[in-house]
Amino acid sequence: MSFGVQPEQAQLADVELLHAVARGDEGALARLYDHYRVILFGLLARILNSREEAEDVLQEVFLQVWRRAADFDEKRGRPFTWLVTLARSRAIDRLRLLAARQRLAVSAARDAKDETSDAVADAWHAEQREIMAQALAELPEEQRRTLKLAYFDGLTQSEIAVKLSTPLGTVKTRMRSGMIKLRELLGDQMKTLR
Amino acid sequence: MVHEDYNEMLPAQALNALDAEDARAAEAHLQTCAECRALLREWEDTAAALAFAALQEKPLEPSPRVRERILEAIRVDARESGHGGRSDANQAERANVISLPQKRQTRWTAAQTWGAIAAGLVFLALLASLFVLWRENRQARQELARLANQVQDAERQLISQREAIEVVAAPGARVAELTGTSVMPNAHATIAYDRSGRAVLLAKGMPPPPAGKAYQLWFLAGGKALPGKVFSTDASGAGTLSDQLPAEALKAVGFAITLEPESGVQSPTLPIYLSSGS
Repeated sequence: MSFGVQPEQAQLADVELLHAVARGDEGALARLYDHYRVILFGLLARILNSREEAEDVLQEVFLQVWRRAADFDEKRGRPFTWLVTLARSRAIDRLRLLAARQRLAVSAARDAKDETSDAVADAWHAEQREIMAQALAELPEEQRRTLKLAYFDGLTQSEIAVKLSTPLGTVKTRMRSGMIKLRELLGDQMKTLR
Repeated sequence: MVHEDYNEMLPAQALNALDAEDARAAEAHLQTCAECRALLREWEDTAAALAFAALQEKPLEPSPRVRERILEAIRVDARESGHGGRSDANQAERANVISLPQKRQTRWTAAQTWGAIAAGLVFLALLASLFVLWRENRQARQELARLANQVQDAERQLISQREAIEVVAAPGARVAELTGTSVMPNAHATIAYDRSGRAVLLAKGMPPPPAGKAYQLWFLAGGKALPGKVFSTDASGAGTLSDQLPAEALKAVGFAITLEPESGVQSPTLPIYLSSGS
């Protein structure tokens, strides 16, 4: 089982789509949206814990893709990584903004209904999710927790050390070990990731 | 720090979890180290894969309205900029890496724009009311100063009147009348003085002296005019003066008033304005 049902030509297709977007092709942006909306929305909803905020940021992300597609360079990274990194940084920005406003995001995301229609995409997402879940399950609990606090809560190493009442050096070691282990576990599947 | 230290920081860098100081140091090193840049890209792929950990068993779908809104927005954007995505492909070395501090949205939402306009209006209103307060305050101060002057004048008048009464009431007090000469026929003054020589003059019908000038009192004794003090009169033509008679004028004295420079002089300038007649 490979990490990614959709193989490398899908990745190539995404590179082409991004180039087309850079040239002002609206249809290409719509296709990118259709490919990535579920994974990106899932990530945004997880970080923001609010369906409304996640939809708002998702819109921001694709507007930024529209404006910045010319900055994408396939020699320097994968479309998937570029998009996820963009979405995550937007979400963390929003999270900080919301925290600054003392507005506690509430649960909406958790009980929101979903209307996934594309069975193939559904299966692919389920598979990726399963692979990641298994990999994470193999990490020691404290490493997993450290990675999640950094990735989904946007905390820095010092902030994690404070939150977990753990020495900073320990947090650094756990984060690094966790990432190394995760990369090993995902292995070759990373290459077909999309 | 050496290359290996930065190397160890890369996984955390890919998670954007470095503290500010470490992040700056790592960024600086990445500018100069191609090997670390390549490694960072791999770590970023691993970090991006964590997005799958956010998927729920039945993945969430955004509302279809989001897709509509995005497509609508890019059409507006395309119209405004003449084209779609930016083509100024200014590809910085690490253009694909989006780090958190760089992501600052500079476009204002409608709410922010209205908020800014409202804030501007509030500021202007505050400025205006501040100006009104300042002006009112200034007027109040001027009024206060005017009243204080009036009180001072009244006090001065009261003091000289009291002195006049004291002088007149003192044993052996004498009073002399001064009448206007042809130069100032309507002028009239009364001077009262006691044995010690304390004298008080009350004048009427004397227009205020011109700028730089004052009326001066003279004591006429032994064929000489001895200088007294200078005084002024108000708009109603009234003025008062307290003075002291020179010793040689105590026994027999006449009085005269002339117009002189406001600092006073030692011998009178003609004509005489008022005199005690004799």
